[in-house]
Amino acid sequence: MLDIDELKTKFLDLEFDTVDLVIDADNLLMVAQMSGETRPEFIDPSRDDFHATPAFIASLAAGRRLPIHFPSLGGIPMDGGKAVTCLQPVKPGVPLTGRTHLHDIYAKQGRSGRMVFLVARMEIYDQSGTHLATSDSRMVIREKPGEDSDA
Amino acid sequence: MTVERISDVEFGVELETFSPDTSLASTGAFAQAVGWGKGAGGRFTDHERARKSGLPGALVPGIMAMGFLTSAIHRWAPTGVIEHVDTVFRAPLLADEPCLLSVVVTDIDEDAGLVELDLQVKNEAQETRVFGTARLRLST
Repeated sequence: MLDIDELKTKFLDLEFDTVDLVIDADNLLMVAQMSGETRPEFIDPSRDDFHATPAFIASLAAGRRLPIHFPSLGGIPMDGGKAVTCLQPVKPGVPLTGRTHLHDIYAKQGRSGRMVFLVARMEIYDQSGTHLATSDSRMVIREKPGEDSDA
Repeated sequence: MTVERISDVEFGVELETFSPDTSLASTGAFAQAVGWGKGAGGRFTDHERARKSGLPGALVPGIMAMGFLTSAIHRWAPTGVIEHVDTVFRAPLLADEPCLLSVVVTDIDEDAGLVELDLQVKNEAQETRVFGTARLRLST
């Protein structure tokens, strides 16, 4: 079994992906409508304050899921959940940058073996460097004993 | 009932929610809009293809369930700002099946204008599929 403390020492807080984004207004609108949103700032693209719902922010993804050379844990990663912190409105049609690092690594013992949780955190900035939002993706991997090769 | 200010909020109150649209048309449109349309193998659009890939059926995307919950909060607090939302995807939520939203006020900080909420999405069998918390800012 992989040593979680060793993984933390090697990979935690290390930025492993940067992605340039421009969000499409039609996609923001569709996500808001399909979510049952009724607030005008999320469903009326003609408004100056039209912006992304937290669920849309949660969908923004890094090009890579894990750092290069992160060891394979054997099992198939599952989407364990998402968390979003909204600091400023995330608007469509403007250049944004998403920077991703591994924010947390922890393990829980389940009935069928150890589950490893990996939290990849994407911080979203506008062109002036203002931090607009943070999106955490929680991956869960049911570890297979004996798997310790590089990804 | 809706709230405008922190003083309107009652501890322990369960919000009035709505019945989300979990139809395949809706889950497919959502998945397409977040870039999960192509290559998802029918995961959000086709029960039969989803079952062939080992799933119990086509799914409601986890973040769509997050969207249902934040929409319920926004309907209750039309001027509130969700500062933070955290959802755990405990088990699959199937498309084309009704789901029940539950949002409960668990803490109020009147000085800071903050409300803590517990969130749940259950299926028809009352099994929790998604749960989490949210922090909402209201005017003081």
